[in-house]
Amino acid sequence: MSTTVAPTPAQSTAPVRPHAPKLTFGGILRSEWIKLFTLRSTFWCIVIIVLLSVGFGLLLSTVTAPHRAGEPVAAALTTAQQQAQAVSDATIGAAIGELVLAVLGVLVISGEYGTGMIRSTFAAVPKRLPALFGKAIVLAVTSLVVGLVTIYGTAAIIFPLLPGKKIHPDWTDWHLNLALIGGAVYLTLIALLAFSIGAIVRNSAGGIAAALGLILVVPSVFSIVAGTTGAAWAQNVANLLPTSAGAHLYAYATGKTETVSGILSLDRTAGGLVLLAWVVVVFIIAAVQLKRRDA
Amino acid sequence: MIEAVGLTKRYGEKTAVDGISFTVRPGLVTGFLGPNGAGKSTTMRLIVGLDRPTSGTVTVAGKRYVDLKAPLHEVGVLLDAKAVHTGRTARNHLLAMAATHGIGRKRVDEVIALTGLQSVASKRVGGFSLGMGQRLGIASALIGDPGILILDEPVNGLDPEGVIWVRELARHLAGEGRTVFLSSHLMSEMAQTADQIIVLGRGKIIADAPVGDILAQVAGKAVRVRTPDGARLESLLAPGSADGAGVTVTRTDPDLLTVGGLTAARIGELAAGSGIVLHELTPIAGSLEDAYLALTEDEVEYHAGALETEIAR
Repeated sequence: MSTTVAPTPAQSTAPVRPHAPKLTFGGILRSEWIKLFTLRSTFWCIVIIVLLSVGFGLLLSTVTAPHRAGEPVAAALTTAQQQAQAVSDATIGAAIGELVLAVLGVLVISGEYGTGMIRSTFAAVPKRLPALFGKAIVLAVTSLVVGLVTIYGTAAIIFPLLPGKKIHPDWTDWHLNLALIGGAVYLTLIALLAFSIGAIVRNSAGGIAAALGLILVVPSVFSIVAGTTGAAWAQNVANLLPTSAGAHLYAYATGKTETVSGILSLDRTAGGLVLLAWVVVVFIIAAVQLKRRDA
Repeated sequence: MIEAVGLTKRYGEKTAVDGISFTVRPGLVTGFLGPNGAGKSTTMRLIVGLDRPTSGTVTVAGKRYVDLKAPLHEVGVLLDAKAVHTGRTARNHLLAMAATHGIGRKRVDEVIALTGLQSVASKRVGGFSLGMGQRLGIASALIGDPGILILDEPVNGLDPEGVIWVRELARHLAGEGRTVFLSSHLMSEMAQTADQIIVLGRGKIIADAPVGDILAQVAGKAVRVRTPDGARLESLLAPGSADGAGVTVTRTDPDLLTVGGLTAARIGELAAGSGIVLHELTPIAGSLEDAYLALTEDEVEYHAGALETEIAR
């Protein structure tokens, strides 16, 4: 290093400060906020989510057709069917963006373990849990805002295109808005679930593999088992996995929670609660581990 | 003030720190010495609560680290230069650390200037050299203007100028009445920086004394004697004669002897008694390095293999 360093002890001697430094939860939140938004990975994750959501939304809205090409427009879609189609196009970002937010959620904590930053974090916040809560809150707020902006942004771009397809989205429909907001809530809960997995695994590659495995691979495994054996239990497990249960959050019309011939189906509230339960359980395991293990 | 009582840390079968008790006092630079793997870093991690002790306690300023109200203000710690996210710039790292304690941008700029990081403060840490990483770690440790400083191998990777800077910084901070605890495996570095030295070997404290005392343990153990009558003096002092057992004499040149086990005064008396002319009679001051090697020779965790056998293969 070429910088000339003269010892200038006077600078470290009793600096005049209005109040003595003190560890506060507000300070921890600010710190975690700075940490999240001073990494390029955060910026790229958000850009990718927005591009994927708007891009796929546009793609879907152009291929969406209430009837097959060449066939006469026999029966127009019911209002509810039109709303469901509009919601489905607008929330495509939730279905695809979840992968990106899961990666971000894991990285928020595994990146600190991978680089050794976690030791600086715990030296500043030795009780550790406030740091975990701080990270979770900052991640949740970011995911929620990104989710809302992305989904509503996508809707705002593609809804004007839909009437050409004989679909007339109704912004004043509360259920439509509930599904759009539900998409953002879904993204937030998935990010928190991935974050908790990252805190347990403490390794970026392992954490991302575990989180994406839970989102992408595990549901397929149970669906295949259910499909090939017809086992009701396998189908029920598949329905209770985070992604399938959580999907009810951003569906326009969902049925009631009921069991038909041994197969459980969930409504929006139950689906959301099942996903929330996943997050809470995995987060508690992460918190206990964080407190007990050596950093 | 740092106080450890019966501090023990086991990782599975391996005991890294074995029931050590020590006190690091304010106003002094206390050196923490030991070969690699002796348990220095583990002890420092135990002090700041990153690892939990298997048994025993350690307190800083009378409290467990975890119970401090303003950890960064009370204790500044450099555990290793790599406790920083590589994707973040140095300034942003310091800002994030400072934010936890409500420490402002002004102090961040102060420690950047103090550690000479101005030119690289906006660069991402991933591209830092070991020396720059070390300076950033020291900047982090100083950010809360702490009363206690714990620095693990602070001069690692620093250029000679940086080494002198750390030495002066440590002395200055101790001069202000702060507690300064720094580890090193380099005895020579400690000889110039520390007031008090704690030597650790295989998880146990081998010595805990002022630098002067540790030097005295080896000082005066050998005497250099120059005489035109080397052969006669050698037989006079040789084991079995005069003062008997415990005396060692090595004649490296016809006129130069190194005598162990006798004081310079006694050698002079014996020579005078036999009418031997002496041209030089010098007690050899032991270096701290010698003392350290003597203290730790049985305690080194990883011995280098004998060179000859390596070559023979």
